[in-house]
Amino acid sequence: MTDSSNDGELLECAGLVRRFGERTAVDGVSFEIAPGETYGLIGPNGAGKTTTIRMVCGLLHADEGSVRIAGQTVSTAADPAKKLIGYVPQDIALYPDLTVRENLRFFGRLYRLRGRALERRVDAVLDLVDLTERARDRVDSLSGGMRRRLNIGAALVHSPSLLVLDEPTVGVDPQSRHAILGSVHRFGEEGMAVLYTTHYMEEAERLCDRIGIIDHGRMIAEGTQRELVATVAERDRVLLTASGELAKYVSECRLLDRVDRVDVGGDHGDTVQILVRDARSLLPELLDLAHRVDVRIRGVEIVEPDLEAVFLHLTGTALRE
Amino acid sequence: MSALFAIARKDLRQRLRDKSAFVLFLLAPIVVAGLMGLAFSNINLHAKVGVVDLDGGPAAAGLSQVLGSPELSDTVTLRGYPTAEAARSAVDAGDIDAAVVVPAGFTAALAGGGTPPSPTVLDDVDHALAAQLVRGVTESYVAQINADRLSVQTALAAGVPAASTTELAARAAQLHAPERIEARGLTDDPLKTVSYFAPGMGIFFVFFMVGFGARSYFTEQQQGTLDRISAAPIGSGTVLLGKSLSTFVYSLVSLGTVTTVSWLVFGARWADPFGVAVLCAAMAVAVVCLTTLVTVLARTERQAEGIASIIVFALALLGGNFVYASASPPALRRLALFTPNGWALRGFTDLGTGIGGWSAVAAPLAGIAVFSAATAVLTLVLLRLRRPA
Repeated sequence: MTDSSNDGELLECAGLVRRFGERTAVDGVSFEIAPGETYGLIGPNGAGKTTTIRMVCGLLHADEGSVRIAGQTVSTAADPAKKLIGYVPQDIALYPDLTVRENLRFFGRLYRLRGRALERRVDAVLDLVDLTERARDRVDSLSGGMRRRLNIGAALVHSPSLLVLDEPTVGVDPQSRHAILGSVHRFGEEGMAVLYTTHYMEEAERLCDRIGIIDHGRMIAEGTQRELVATVAERDRVLLTASGELAKYVSECRLLDRVDRVDVGGDHGDTVQILVRDARSLLPELLDLAHRVDVRIRGVEIVEPDLEAVFLHLTGTALRE
Repeated sequence: MSALFAIARKDLRQRLRDKSAFVLFLLAPIVVAGLMGLAFSNINLHAKVGVVDLDGGPAAAGLSQVLGSPELSDTVTLRGYPTAEAARSAVDAGDIDAAVVVPAGFTAALAGGGTPPSPTVLDDVDHALAAQLVRGVTESYVAQINADRLSVQTALAAGVPAASTTELAARAAQLHAPERIEARGLTDDPLKTVSYFAPGMGIFFVFFMVGFGARSYFTEQQQGTLDRISAAPIGSGTVLLGKSLSTFVYSLVSLGTVTTVSWLVFGARWADPFGVAVLCAAMAVAVVCLTTLVTVLARTERQAEGIASIIVFALALLGGNFVYASASPPALRRLALFTPNGWALRGFTDLGTGIGGWSAVAAPLAGIAVFSAATAVLTLVLLRLRRPA
């Protein structure tokens, strides 16, 4: 189905709703992506990012709302619109007992590529993901980073207009992560629309032209990084690594005048994040309060307004991994 | 269509690279069928039989004569022993396979019209077949004597003078009970063991494809490739159809290889290669239908494995893959008609006994077709009951 009212957007998601029994995983999510634009969908685990992506790719039907790509509605059936999507799942979705080339050929054939056209595309993708030398090796003999690159390459064989990446850097070593981010940046520059989900704020900050923040299935903010950061105005984030009665400290902090939000996070649950106006002048008061409630401060960091601050400001909680 | 063939091709390539699949579907059935053929086809019985004549009369001598007759000379070698204990020792020592003891007073009791003491067969657990042979011959001899006595008694009761008893007995002894039964079946060709068990084992191992195929679906689901395939512009049933096509090809190749090797190497014989090919193809279709059913029934790889195992062993036991269908109890033979392998093995049995063409395979094909259609309908119903994603 083609819609002539399409305003040059490549992807249009309108009012997407998806329920699983009593639970609403995605609740009225709408956003658009223009050709050549990299759009970041960020939010904590369980926010609804993957469910949204599965609806975009036609892997899950929407209970309400619609997904259109280049004006064509996407459904779980064999839609021509699906031809325009390249889907990179979060986990490595390849056949370990097939070679690198066989994997790429197989995914190319699913999109009706064959013969010389298929081989040309396979060669181009091998070059793109820097695996030409390993083309005849089985996937289970590749390193983790190589598999990650091939995982992305498999979505590019049919030259999609929209590349959808579902948290492609989860569990990836820093070097591979850097390579993946570089590739995604390049795809955007080459005119491909990219939908990128992550819960790493710094990735969204580095890559995305526009960002949608999703939490509890709802889109709570959307815009460029600059627009989103502007919503927290002059607020800084104070990160205190501490031990002791943190719950008591948090509730006491909330009573302070210039404190906007407070939450406890970090890998070990020992980091207190405080969103404040003018952190530098408030810092002595925060430290004094810690002393009074028997909380021992082991580290202090003040972070200028960023997406993490936006998320804390909007949701009252830190974005956790 | 191209996506369907791409999936089938990819699956076949993966199976060809899987050594366990190669062993299970090609090597194992050939080896097992060959071993069964060797185990059952070379039964060359020759029994060393001891005779203990404690009677010393003509009736006991007659039994020795029968056992030592020219008809049994290729099968039985006789040795005499003075006592039952000596014969028992010889059996236990393995010098002879079995022995028959004719008790004292055997002839006298027969002549006097009384009840004679029974001859005894001494056997050994390691030579049950020889003991069975001796028991059969002895029972047959005693039955002949009983028939003679009955006819003399009948004649005497009818008023024949008692003086004629000896003459009557001699004349009755001339009238032997039938010595052999002639079997008049559809053909004169006996079914070779390997002609039955080669396809039997081939089908049994191909049944494992059911679990193999179903598991591959769930493996794809786990490793995320199923999502990746589903994100492509392909129909909703394409994955199942593609996998079914590869299962069909692999099953057909497996059964074809087993029957061909059994024919060339182990001497299996079927009247009609066309019939064999058609039965193999029909069984491959049945395996595809079962695989699809298990895939739809199960929710996890482990469930698929469990359901497939139950189906495989139930069908193999009911259908007669391990024992000749003709040797099964009647109830089991009737149940075999509800299994595709039961029907296929009926077809292979007919082909193995010299019946060719459609008369051998028409009924089995119909039976397998009904089973496959019922399975397919059940699968479709289950698919419809499942809520779409």
